[in-house]
Amino acid sequence: MGSRASTLLREEEIEEIKKETGFSHSQITRLYSRFTSLDKGENGTLSREDFQRIPELAINPLGDRIINAFFPEGEDQVNFRGFMRTLAHFRPIEDNEKNKDPTASEPLNSRTNKLLFAFRLYDLDRDDKISRDELLQVLRMMVGVNISDEQLGSIADRTIQEADQNGDNSISFNEFIKVLEKVDVEQKMSIRFLH
Amino acid sequence: MAELLGSSSVRSGRASFCLRVVGFVLLLVFAAAASASRDISNGTSKEPNPAREEDPHHRSNTTHHKKAFPVLSFNYEHVRTPFEISLWILLALLMKLGFHIIPRLSHVVPESCLLIFVGLLVGGIIKAIGEKPPILDSTLFFLYLLPPIILDAGYFLPIRPFTENLGTILVFAVVGTLWNAFFIGGMMYAVCQIEGTGLGGVDLLSCLLFGAIISAVDPVAVLAMFEEIHINELLHILVFGESLLNDAVTVVLYHLFEEFAHIGTVTVADAFLGVVCFFVVSLGGILVGAIYGILGAFTSRFTSHTRVIEPLFVFLYSYMAYLSAEVFHLSGIMSLIACGVMMRPYVEANISHKSYTTIKYFLKMWSSVSETLIFIFLGVSTVAGPHSWNWTFVVLTVILCFVSRMLGVVGLTYIINKFRIVKLTKKEQFIVAYGGLRGAIAFSLGFLLTNDKMKDMFLTAIITVIFFTVFVQGMTIKPLVDLLAVKKKKESKRSINEEIHTQFLDHLLTGIEDVCGHYGHHHWKDKLNRFNKAYVKKWLIAGERSTEPQLISFYNKLEMKQAIMLVESGSAAKLPSTLSSVSMQNIQPRAQPRGRIIPRISKGREEEIRKLLRANLQKTRQRLRSYSRHDLMIDPFEDNMSEVRFRKQRVEMERRMSHYLTVPANRQEAPPVRKVYLADDGDSRAVSGRRATQPNLSSPDAVSLLDESSQRANQRSPDPPRRGPELQESQEEQDQLKLSRCLSDPGPNKDGDEDKNKGFIP
Repeated sequence: MGSRASTLLREEEIEEIKKETGFSHSQITRLYSRFTSLDKGENGTLSREDFQRIPELAINPLGDRIINAFFPEGEDQVNFRGFMRTLAHFRPIEDNEKNKDPTASEPLNSRTNKLLFAFRLYDLDRDDKISRDELLQVLRMMVGVNISDEQLGSIADRTIQEADQNGDNSISFNEFIKVLEKVDVEQKMSIRFLH
Repeated sequence: MAELLGSSSVRSGRASFCLRVVGFVLLLVFAAAASASRDISNGTSKEPNPAREEDPHHRSNTTHHKKAFPVLSFNYEHVRTPFEISLWILLALLMKLGFHIIPRLSHVVPESCLLIFVGLLVGGIIKAIGEKPPILDSTLFFLYLLPPIILDAGYFLPIRPFTENLGTILVFAVVGTLWNAFFIGGMMYAVCQIEGTGLGGVDLLSCLLFGAIISAVDPVAVLAMFEEIHINELLHILVFGESLLNDAVTVVLYHLFEEFAHIGTVTVADAFLGVVCFFVVSLGGILVGAIYGILGAFTSRFTSHTRVIEPLFVFLYSYMAYLSAEVFHLSGIMSLIACGVMMRPYVEANISHKSYTTIKYFLKMWSSVSETLIFIFLGVSTVAGPHSWNWTFVVLTVILCFVSRMLGVVGLTYIINKFRIVKLTKKEQFIVAYGGLRGAIAFSLGFLLTNDKMKDMFLTAIITVIFFTVFVQGMTIKPLVDLLAVKKKKESKRSINEEIHTQFLDHLLTGIEDVCGHYGHHHWKDKLNRFNKAYVKKWLIAGERSTEPQLISFYNKLEMKQAIMLVESGSAAKLPSTLSSVSMQNIQPRAQPRGRIIPRISKGREEEIRKLLRANLQKTRQRLRSYSRHDLMIDPFEDNMSEVRFRKQRVEMERRMSHYLTVPANRQEAPPVRKVYLADDGDSRAVSGRRATQPNLSSPDAVSLLDESSQRANQRSPDPPRRGPELQESQEEQDQLKLSRCLSDPGPNKDGDEDKNKGFIP
């Protein structure tokens, strides 16, 4: 499995992914083996069914949205590049990266990009706002079926009321950032990929 | 001229007040000292006493009233012990009070220093009188003074940062303490071997024992200090968590070395047993605590009818956990922490709001008293204890403690940072190292030593180290924190947004971890949550709340807090229309359809209403104080603010500002919230014409009552609702229902005292 995986993944590709996402060589190889283990069809891409086969993801309230986040707009297959690009958002922020020169484009795992990723999971219609309905959907997924609509509605209303600053009754990305400024996003949205 | 006089009089007023306080305190001190002395004198004269007491009796019998009947007699022996204890505690608390009155002192000097200083003073005074000052008895300390502090810390331990940093905390606690102990012990031994210091008699094991005692960071001192500097959560939990968890290490090392110090030699088997002992002590302690915690949670499930004793369960189960662990020489502190942590989420879901408040304030109160007493006794013991001052030993100890702590923290952080997502910066490392204070635990452990030869020297050194850390490090850490610009604690409360998004991110991260096939922190946390929800909650939480998602309970708590805050500030803040308690529908399936929101009344009228209510509320609060053992406050009233009715009544209300409006609000169905009175003396027409089937709130002022809502502990015969028109304010009603539910008022009690209505107003 290991040798077969590495022959399928060329060195140039690894270099490119490294540059784009910032992962290290060993991390990329390890994730590639995970990729291939998920890829039952063995065609080098993952489909939605491949993801749904992961058991824990099925019971995750946000499972579907997470799966969708991997697939680019309108497509049904994701290759390894896309897989890594999505996972790169969750790489821990390193200290030396904090001092990079500001003219270079922001790495995928910067705080803003992490938050943007989360924001996009709320905002399904991509209108750059989390509307009350979108919020309600997420709340419904998280609390289950026993809570009444009205109650969820009041929670959603209160949430929007707290966050909304320009009065448009929805949460824009900037308002989202502001609300989460006290939360340690760098730690919360990072996964320690073992070396 | 006038201003000068005025200001001087103010100043002299304050000065004279201070003088009076000080004078009073000194008086108390003398009384305490005198009682101590009387103790001695009484002790010696105990023998003749009974004889003496018999004599008057005898005499009176034989001589027929030669001695007059004693109108006023003096029998101090009878109350001596509780009297002296109370006197000490009172003295301690007055001292604490005094510090905060003197304005500038409490900013510069941390409270712990001041208290030790007072202890020194008191000890000095007692010694000057010629009596023997009391010493911090180890039994007293470990069994009575320490548990409240630890319970307070453990019960309110912020779980999230604790578990997130658990690895780091454990490394500091276990490895760090071991390093400290061996480094200090080893270096001391090496120095003792040097000729000319006069310390040749100290052997290796004694040195190691001393190292073990002095190496542990003390939770009491850390708590006392960190409370005042408001440092950010991460550092606080690191140092504090370390101070709690190193108890296991300290216990094991202490017993280990003490045993070996008697035997004299250590074999490899013994060292291995020591390691096993460590695991047994820590895990056993946690297990004992967890068992008691579960028991406590289970018990709290059934307390819905006896709300008054709920807090006692929490306290007693925790204390039993501590004592049980101490029986087996397990780590009592870890047991207490485990008990509190285990119990808390379930107990809080079960108990009423008032019990929660009671628990919180009792814990804070007890731990505050304990802390104060500990520091004062430390001061007194310093004056009292036999000292054997050896320059080399003491100075060396102080230096070594500091150095080993610094080295230990820096070295360990270097290793830990490889595994942490958010690394610890140099500044943070420094604060962690600098915040390693020693305190009363070290002193008590030293006091328990039996070897007299070394004991005095050890005690002196321990006290010196404690003084050094508390005074020097305690006083300078605040300016250092400011100087290094370390992040301070973020003062804000958690908003609903943060809660929702945090949960969202948790799910997201769990999902991503699953995609990667990486079984990390989130994965296990999610599994634990699922297990908790599926099995544990059903057993330990009463009623429907066992299925309530965390988000909902958080939201309810938030709403209630806001409501209470609104009332307390008496502000004209708009009551948000989202303040609906539709959650009540959860447990009342028969809830009638609610759709209407509060009809808007004009700002001016709103102001009038508020003014009226506030005036009446305050007066009512003063009047209505009826207590019985079983139920708590019967609270004043409830505003029945249907707009229509109010328009009608406004005129009368304004005329009757001095009277009280009471109207009974009866609830037919399930949890009746509380009794609501809106007494209206003269307006009986309105009263009788009213049929209040649901309680109502339409203004924030009325919400205040929930704060004082009574809890019917038991039997009140249900009263049929007699009057009141159907009230239209569905919104507030829901509100109140929800709020009442949040107060977890018990079920079947109905509002009794309808009869009290008329004769209510004195």
